[in-house]
Amino acid sequence: MQSTETKPNGSVAAAFLAAGIGSLALGVTVVLNELGGDISKFLQFDKNFGLGSGVGALSGKVVITVFVYLISWVVLHFLWRGKEVNFGRIFSIALILVAAGFILTFPPVFLLFAPTE
Amino acid sequence: MTLTEREFWTLVHGMVLGTLFLLAFGGGVAGLWSFREKYLTADGVTERTPRLLAGTAVMAVVAWLTVIVGTWIVYPWYRAVPPEGTTDLAKFPKSLLISNPDTAGWHEFGMEWKEHVAFLAPLLATAVAFATIYYGAQLVRQGEIRRAMLVFFTLAFAAAGIAGLFGALITKAAPII
Repeated sequence: MQSTETKPNGSVAAAFLAAGIGSLALGVTVVLNELGGDISKFLQFDKNFGLGSGVGALSGKVVITVFVYLISWVVLHFLWRGKEVNFGRIFSIALILVAAGFILTFPPVFLLFAPTE
Repeated sequence: MTLTEREFWTLVHGMVLGTLFLLAFGGGVAGLWSFREKYLTADGVTERTPRLLAGTAVMAVVAWLTVIVGTWIVYPWYRAVPPEGTTDLAKFPKSLLISNPDTAGWHEFGMEWKEHVAFLAPLLATAVAFATIYYGAQLVRQGEIRRAMLVFFTLAFAAAGIAGLFGALITKAAPII
């Protein structure tokens, strides 16, 4: 027998928005790496922290992305758990963040941030 | 008829995990799309819920495994730097591609896009899996959530599709051996 009660949507909204935040974080780290200099060197987590030999700056980009994604999910989950939120609005924001992630990971876009030689 | 270690992991990354994710998408979309009160009896909902739950959870796990294997196992072989004076670049796919202006684009556009955009797939698929686990059978009454899940699912497929397509084309131009 199915329950007729409906669970509050806050936890699901948190998961969707966290995915959007993670997507944006990925795009931002890709752009930061293109800027070069100390940031680009820092992102080489394989050399700096021994996380994956030979992965290069991609190691830092994905580790930071996953970290930001998980932290934002945990924070939002505890903020909205058991609450009814405006899911449509939160999903729209999440979609914008995902779109930003797609755009910033597109080479012709992130290469605009590379230093000109 | 043998596979090298590199060929084995490339196969796991692209043909096993990546293909499983892309193939499962059709079933996942059909399952989510038709998971509505007006289409299903109570028995139908009970029968379909565990399948939807398992399907979305497996897709999220497979998406994570695909990018983890791709990034931490296969990618270092792709971008390995050849020792100075190496003339045969067959074992150094990135160097092989950029050594020729006709193939450099496979790395400079294809690989640069693939290695990044692929990571959007597990983020989006995890949100979909979480919503399925959270609501379970109640999802039949959550039209707005279900539509959002379908959008994220489709975007995850697009991201994985771009990565998969370029992965296949790059492997054809410069295989990891």
